[in-house]
Amino acid sequence: MSTAAPLPAHRLFSPARVGAIARNTLTELTRQKVFYLLLLFGLLLIGSSVLLVRFSFQDQFQMLKDISLGAMSIFGSLLAILATAAMLPRDIEERTLYTILAKPVPRVEYVLGKFLGIAGMLACALFLMGLLFLLILFVRERGVEAEMAASLSGDAAALAAQIETLRAQVFHPNLLAAGLTIFAKTCVLAALTLFVSTFATSQIFTVFIVTTAYFIGHFQATAREYWQAMGGAAWSKAFAGFVAILFPDLQIFNLVDEIAVGVAVPLALLGKTLVLGGFYVLIYLLAAQLVFAQKEL
Amino acid sequence: MTPAISIRHLSKVFPVPFRRERVVAVEDLSLEVAPGQVYGLLGPNGSGKSTTMKMVLGLVPPTRGQVEVFGVDADRVESRVAVGFLPENPYFQKFLTGTETVAFFGRLAGVPKRDLRDRARELLRLVGLEEAADRRLSGYSKGMLQRIGLAQALVQEPRLLVLDEPTAGVDPAGSRDIKDLILKFKDRGITVLLCSHLLAQVQEICDRIGILHRGRLVCEGPLAELIEKRAQTELVLENAPAGLLAEIEAAVGRHEGARLLHRRHPQASLEEFFLTVTGDEKKP
Ligand SMILES: Nc1ncnc2c1ncn2[C@@H]1O[C@H](COP(=O)(O)OP(=O)(O)O)[C@@H](O)[C@H]1O
Ligand SMILES: [Mg+2]
Repeated sequence: MSTAAPLPAHRLFSPARVGAIARNTLTELTRQKVFYLLLLFGLLLIGSSVLLVRFSFQDQFQMLKDISLGAMSIFGSLLAILATAAMLPRDIEERTLYTILAKPVPRVEYVLGKFLGIAGMLACALFLMGLLFLLILFVRERGVEAEMAASLSGDAAALAAQIETLRAQVFHPNLLAAGLTIFAKTCVLAALTLFVSTFATSQIFTVFIVTTAYFIGHFQATAREYWQAMGGAAWSKAFAGFVAILFPDLQIFNLVDEIAVGVAVPLALLGKTLVLGGFYVLIYLLAAQLVFAQKEL
Repeated sequence: MTPAISIRHLSKVFPVPFRRERVVAVEDLSLEVAPGQVYGLLGPNGSGKSTTMKMVLGLVPPTRGQVEVFGVDADRVESRVAVGFLPENPYFQKFLTGTETVAFFGRLAGVPKRDLRDRARELLRLVGLEEAADRRLSGYSKGMLQRIGLAQALVQEPRLLVLDEPTAGVDPAGSRDIKDLILKFKDRGITVLLCSHLLAQVQEICDRIGILHRGRLVCEGPLAELIEKRAQTELVLENAPAGLLAEIEAAVGRHEGARLLHRRHPQASLEEFFLTVTGDEKKP
């Protein structure tokens, strides 16, 4: 430990450090009340769909998917906004940020690690909700199969064909596409929240701004269509473009509606949606880093 | 030799949100800390000690002036490679155990993964937290948190330690342990910059001190020189008979200008007394 020795080498960017921060953030977030509370509500809503649904078996899967995917989307979004908004203020308040940044950790690694931790937490929550959803779907589907077998006694070939169709309909790969787009949407919201929290003066302010962005994000596509139908003037187009840059166009992640209806989602559309989601995340993280790098702690 | 810390004309002005006034936390501060030195930054509350430390660590950008750590500008991440920091009232994530906390910071400081566990154990032993190593931090006392703070600061075997009030809120025995640890670091050649209100302790461990008042460095230098009373001499005798004392007093009286100021039994410091009375048992 001679003081004359040269400083040890330092890596400008280290995935190991980012990973350590991400893991730490994930552990922290999954120990928070807001995580359990929102996850619990989501699970309850998905679980209660069993009670709500009392229709013919054609409709019931439709409703199950509507309710469950809706619950995943809403509670995932709420979790993304609420958990992320509290994170940076807490690290500053509790001065854990000082101890972390006093180590040779570039701020960009902190921002990235935090985001990955949140994304991990969202993946956990959505995975658990999705698991319950699939379980319910599975039990229901088996029930309907039993009904079919009871009513269609005799013709084994016809029964097998019907069951085949039913399974293909209920467990369509679209469900995976729906899960992925919901995850992408919550990640976009989390990245936006992280960005806003780098300059917001309070947590309430962050939540307010992002919630506003959430609604604008959902309605801007509708508004754009409306303007276009009105024979959109040049300035209104420019305005719509400006809004699309500032606020994420969240409607693109609503493949959920189509999926629940049972329309096949082309792989290209899914890919495009995920790439666009990644692009939004990248932009917001970049913006977050730009502000955070200059922030006085 | 490159100084461990070199601060030149450093100022920090904080804007007050929504007002026109500003807080000048540090003003035109210049000082150097040589490698291997223990430097004490003293000053009343709000005099800018913590702000100065944050600028040394690149946590707060200076308004004016420059800070270098081992010759590297403090705003560069590399300047922190060999630096350990114990913040004021350190707070760590409650859900981690002592070992996990030290290992986490070790990972951030670039300690190879295979060495993490051993390093964490070793440091926890050093700061006297062996038994609490696998307990969650939610059950730690203030003094234990302070020690975990020290352990994480030491995790990458730094060459410079920056300690912001390392003994604040710690009981006398714990505070003495921390003082002994700092002396141990000094023996290993680690440079230490610390600030504290406990002047008696600072006096025992620091080679050099600087006194800040309202953000300005009002006095700076080697501790021994600053507080030496050159005109006075102390004699401490053991088992001296009354006759000898009378002779000495008479001898003093025969010298022009020399004067006996007081004669008394030296007193133990309250700290020494307290520690003798409460025994030597180590606090967990
Ligand atoms: N982030 C900040 N924003 C505004 N003022 C600050 C900030 N940090 C410190 N100050 C002010 O700077 C002065 C010095 O504070 P500090 O360095 O914490 O003093 P010390 O550590 O010596 O007690 C104080 O008046 C404090 O109020
Ligand atoms: Mg202070």
